[in-house]
This record gives sequence, C-alpha cells and structure tokens, in this order.
Amino acid sequence: MKEQFEPNVVAFLCNWCSYAGADLAGTSRVQYQPNVNIIRVMCSGRVNPLFVINALQQGADGVLISGCHPGDCHYIEGNFYARRRFGLMKELLDYVGVDPRRFNMSWVSASEGNKWKDVVEEVVEKAKEAGPFEQFRRNKINW
Amino acid sequence: MVDLEKLKSIAKETVSRDDVKYLIGWRQGTYGFRVSPHFVEKPEEAEELIFSPLCTNNLASYLVLPEKLPLPRGVEPDSRKVALMVKGCDSRAVVQQIVEQGIKRDEIIVIGCPCEGVIDLEKVEERFPNQLESVTAQWSNGKIIFHLPEGNEEIPKEEVLATKCLTCRYPNPVLSDLMLGDEVETWGDEKYEDVKELEAKDPQERWSFWEEAFSSCVRCYSCRNVCPMCYCEDCILDRLNPTWINRSNNASENTAFHLARAFHLAGRCIECGECERVCPAGIPLTKLNRKLSKVVQENYEYIPGIDPESKPFQSSYRPEDQEDFIL
Amino acid sequence: MDTKKLSKDKLGEFVAVLAKQNKLYIPQKEGENLKFKPLSGDQEELDFPRITTVPPKDVFFPQTETLYRFEQGGTDISFPKEEEEAVVLGIRPCDARAMAIMDSLFSWDIDDPYFLNKREKTTLIGLACLEPGVNCFCTSVGGGPASTEGLDILLTDLGEDYLLQVLTEKGGKIKLSVEELLEEAAEDDLDTAEKLVKEATSKIGRSINTDGIQEKLPELWESPLWKNLSNSCLGCGICTFLCPTCHCFDIQDEMEGLEGRRCRVWDSCMFEEYTLHASGHNPRPSRRERLRNRINHKYSYFVQNFGKIACVGCGRCIDLCPVNIDVLDILSQVVKEAI
Repeated sequence: MKEQFEPNVVAFLCNWCSYAGADLAGTSRVQYQPNVNIIRVMCSGRVNPLFVINALQQGADGVLISGCHPGDCHYIEGNFYARRRFGLMKELLDYVGVDPRRFNMSWVSASEGNKWKDVVEEVVEKAKEAGPFEQFRRNKINW
Repeated sequence: MVDLEKLKSIAKETVSRDDVKYLIGWRQGTYGFRVSPHFVEKPEEAEELIFSPLCTNNLASYLVLPEKLPLPRGVEPDSRKVALMVKGCDSRAVVQQIVEQGIKRDEIIVIGCPCEGVIDLEKVEERFPNQLESVTAQWSNGKIIFHLPEGNEEIPKEEVLATKCLTCRYPNPVLSDLMLGDEVETWGDEKYEDVKELEAKDPQERWSFWEEAFSSCVRCYSCRNVCPMCYCEDCILDRLNPTWINRSNNASENTAFHLARAFHLAGRCIECGECERVCPAGIPLTKLNRKLSKVVQENYEYIPGIDPESKPFQSSYRPEDQEDFIL
Repeated sequence: MDTKKLSKDKLGEFVAVLAKQNKLYIPQKEGENLKFKPLSGDQEELDFPRITTVPPKDVFFPQTETLYRFEQGGTDISFPKEEEEAVVLGIRPCDARAMAIMDSLFSWDIDDPYFLNKREKTTLIGLACLEPGVNCFCTSVGGGPASTEGLDILLTDLGEDYLLQVLTEKGGKIKLSVEELLEEAAEDDLDTAEKLVKEATSKIGRSINTDGIQEKLPELWESPLWKNLSNSCLGCGICTFLCPTCHCFDIQDEMEGLEGRRCRVWDSCMFEEYTLHASGHNPRPSRRERLRNRINHKYSYFVQNFGKIACVGCGRCIDLCPVNIDVLDILSQVVKEAI
C-alpha cells in the first residue's frame, strides 16, 4: 500500500523568485512530480503561519514554503522575516508530534529551474516517507 | 517584604492625583485563598489593597483589556494615567506591551513589588480544603505563613509555589516608577526541564500527549483573554470571514486553535503562566509556550519583556539568523 | 416510591448491566478535565467526583452538534442518526435540576427535537451529595443535596451500600433490568439516608436570600455596581460554558470539500461576538453590559419567563472564575444596593 501513496503537498511560492523558478522549470521542460499544488503569494513573508496549520487541517500531507535567497527579496527583507517565523513554526510542529518531514522551506531563485525540480523531489519524497497526514485533519469528526 | 502601610499611603497619594484614572492592585477575595484584582479609584478604597503570596493574577492584562468604545461627539477620550502594581513577571508583560506599542510608557505608572513567589492555588486548596473564611498569607524567610481560622500554618515555599515561580529568573520588576520594598535575591534558573523532558519522547508519544490535552479544551478562551500579550482588536478566533478556526469543538479545530495561540505568542510570551492557571480543563499550556521561549532564547538569543527599547521578535531579523532547515 | 438497596460490591456488576443495555455516561477524565463520557471498555475503578468540571448538560446539549448535513449544489439534507437509549450514572442533584430547568427552555414556544429526544431516551441516576463543596449553595435556590427534581433514580451512599430510590417510570424500567442485584431496603436505611442528607445540608456554608432579587435587578440597570464588578472580568467563557443551566448556542455551517453540515455550538453571552450585529454595532459593547446580562438572565428574565431561577447553586462559576467574580457576592451587593 505504502508505495502507492501519493502525497498532497501544498507549496506557497513567492511571486518574484520561486514562482518564476517553477515557471522556468516548466518552460525548460524539466520533468518533476505532480504532487505539488502551487499557491502563488507575493512574498514568502506574506505567508501566514495559519496557512500552514490550515493546509494540514484540510488534507495536505506536506507543506513547502519557498522564497528568494536572502538578500534577493523583492521587498528587501520579507524573506528574512519568513525565515525567522517558519524556523519557529518548524520547531512548534515537531514539538507537538507532527513529522518534521512534512514541513519544508526552500530558497529558489528565478533562474533555478533545476533546483526547483530537486526541491520538489526531495519534499515529495519526504512526504511519502511520512505517510498520509491524519493527526489533526478535519476529516468530518463527529459529523 | 512589601510594607502594606507604605503601599496604602502611596496608593492614596497616587489616586488623589488629577492625572490618574485608577490604580490596579489586589485585594482579598470573597472566600478562602482567593484574591481578586482591585481597581482603586478613590483614596479610601486603597485600604483594601494587599500584596501577599496569594496575589497570582497578572494585572498587566487590565492595561489592554478595557474596550475602546466609540465616544459621543464632543467628548474627549480619557487620557489619564493608569497606575499598576506589578510583580517581576508582570513587569515583563508591561515591558513587552511597551515594545509592541500596545501601551505607551507615559500612560502608566508602574508600582514594582519585589516578589518571593506566589502560590499555586490548587496545591494550597488541596492541602487546606474547604476554607470558607478568607485566609491571608505572608512570606517569611523562605516559608509561607497561612493565617487560617484554626491557627497559623508555616509551609516551606517550595511545596506550595506555582511551578513558574520555582524557576523564576526575574522576581524583581524589570521596570518600575517606584519600588515597594527592597529587591529580593533571585533563587531560580530557567533550564526548561519540562520542555526537554517532552522533547526527549518520540513524536507519536508527544502527539498523544497533546491530542489528549487539546481534546479536553472547552474553548472558553480564558487563556486568550487572561493573557497580557493577547490584545488584538480583531482576533482570528472571533473572525468568520475568513473562518480560520471553526467554532466546532473537536481535536482538529482545538489543535489549530492552540497552535495558533502558541505561535502568536512566540517571542512575546513572558511566561507569567496565567493561561495555564486559568484553564478550567487543566491543559499544560505553558509547556507549549515555553518550548517557543526556549527556541527563541537558544537559537536567536532573544528574551522578550526585558528591554523596552528592543524590537519585537517576529518583526525584526538578523541577517545571520539560522537557516539550516532550509533546502 | 420504590426503595431498594445496592451493595457496593455489586456496583461493578450494576454498571456492567447498565452499560450492556444502554449507552452509559459516567464521570471520566479527559486529560485533566472531568466530564461525563460514554463508558468505553473496562472502567478500572468507579469514582464519583463531587462535581465534574464540565456539567452533564453536554450529554443532551453537546458543545458541537450536527443539525443536518448537505451537499453543495444539492437540495437533499440528511439528519444525524437517532440517539440510542442512555443512562447517566452519578449525576449530582444540582446538575439534574439544571436539566429540569433546561427542559422548560427547550420546550418553550417551539420544541427542540435534538434536545428533547435525548432527554426522553435518557435515564438519570443521581447520587446524593453528602460532601458539599465550599461554594455549594443549592439550598438557596430551591435545591438540596438530595433533591429529586429531574432525576429518575436517586442513590444515597450509606457506607456499605447505596440506597436506591426509584422516582419515575423510566427509573422503574432501569430498576427492573437490575432487579437481581438489588436487596430490600430496611426501614432504618431510609432513616440513615435522611440523617446523612440532613448532615450534608448543614455543611453547606454559603447562602443567599433570593427573595425580591428578580424585581430588584431591572431597577439596578444603570447602577455603578456593574462597572465595578465587571472591571476585573476577563470576558472569557468559563462561567457560562461550565454552567449547568447556560444554554446559548450559535449556528454555524461547515464545509469540507463538497459536503457540509449545519451545526450548533455553545456560545457565551460573555463574548464580544455574541451580540455583535452585522453592521458592526454592538448593543452590549463592554464587559459591564455582558456581566449585567448574565446575572439578569439567570435571576430575573428566566424567572419572569419560567417562574424559576436559572441557577442551581453548583458553585462552578465561583470555583473556576480566575479573577474571583463571585455570583453570591454580586447578589448580596445587589440586595444591599439602594435604588
């Protein structure tokens, strides 16, 4: 059964770097797994920590947040805030017992189509290892 | 030791000032070991003020709790100052509120009370059950003396102190306009033992621990309301559009609520332990908050509520912040 | 009235028989929280606490209850499955009285089928309160440590045995199912029970005279009392969520994928959101009005509508309030306050 499990990964990509990077991967015909659902946000600093919790509640098996490399942020410092915020989020999720492989963050620039492919492969692989997320999925409890 | 007579005379003097709205302190509650916040508006009300090991409430919450109601046309807002009695931990809440500009330094008068640790009501009520008459208490050389109707009881303070007080690093107010009494010696050191103990367990055990705790939540939001750092005018828990957290009570929504609450306090929690004290379901909330405090302190060398000039943790950064978790 | 005796040695068997034929609710721990939960598997030892943190109202009026389910785009709705026969064991007389109070509310102008169905199918086996707590004041609001209102069977702990008094037809049915475990009660058992209850009544230390409070409360509408009392209020939901008679709810729609449900969830008049209008106007804008409403509702409006006080004197709100807002203190100030 476990081999057949296809994880559902929600990825929040910043408009200026990572989304363009993923776009480049697409236009360069780089093949990568289709398990990633991309949500475009203006900056990784815009990603509310509640997005992550909410994604997990609604059925994501893994979450990826991707932004510009430090120093490259279109808004100068948005990704620095994101880095601090999600460094904490990762620790918090791990502490309550959520598999740390489910939560990932990456820096992918607009020119790194191939890095995007590597990131996706790694994230999907990790989510596959972690298995389906059941801990606090909504799952119609007591409906 | 805080001299009560001095406290009362200072309080009377303070509330007599024209630019002071009221003074917030503690008074003996209606029964047993209970203590209630006391709002002194007139000098004669200052007679009821106390400061004792029973004064657990963090009064800094009342700086941010009053509703900002719309005023009728032509009415000026009340800009008088609020005077506030603080223990060491409470003063950190005030500092953090100043850091976040939740309140302004010149809007408040801080009366510092060096504190030798407050009681854990549960431990005390277990030891002396069914006390209907008001019981007072005082510190005395590492002990706490309870004045019970049947006579005085001296108990080593380690046995009845609140857990947060056993590892207290800041018994003396870090911010005050005037201090009542001499500074006390620091006895505790924060090593986050309870957090480490839980960290050492495997993830499945940690999740079962939290799942059970979160499932017992009744969503009364007392942890949010009592928290001196929870003062958003528009709280995500009250919002319906978007509905971040459904109103239904189940393991999923409760977990989301508690994670969101803890995360909103990351780098802001001053570990006064009020959330855990008020929780009717006995959820070990400080274990959650203190984990984040530990990470913030160890990985980012930041301790909230110490320096009024510092920047809020989550709206600042250092270029060299750790990023070993990033792919 | 049918009076029997149940030996404590047979309590385990008694519980087993009840659990076999019904869904059996008994006080259990969830984390650190005490509430009535269906017995699942083997309960190692039975322990009846003086009072549960969460009152047994949530058996009949759960914190979250599905009213019906629907599908996006569809017109069909489906209802949750019918409740089965249930027994609540170890409910205290005050909490049982609270159910009688809620009955009048939920069968007022329109019958509430969700609540009433469960009430009808559930038998309440009460346990007389022989060790009242420090904040109990049931005798002041019409109850008592062995009050039978709302109960079907009353158990009284006689030390070695329980005295079992059948009070209603429903209780009689339950008694029949456990007949072989019961013994005849002797004449002096009744006397002993009465003595114990009397003793317990004398142990209740707090009281309030509620005469005239109903009329006086509306007259104190603008009194500065409310501002002073509510200064320290946190505006949390402890006093209402954990009150055995508080019954306010909110209706919410929840969607998951294409499926949805309409559910009702507890709501509290102490929350700001409770009276907030869509326009943004809030007729109860601050904690002053909310606290005033809570007290008025319990001791005045409810009395007007149903002829009884919506308070059973269980003391939970006093016990659990983190800032010592004490309803007895409020009422005594109300009595003292000049108009």
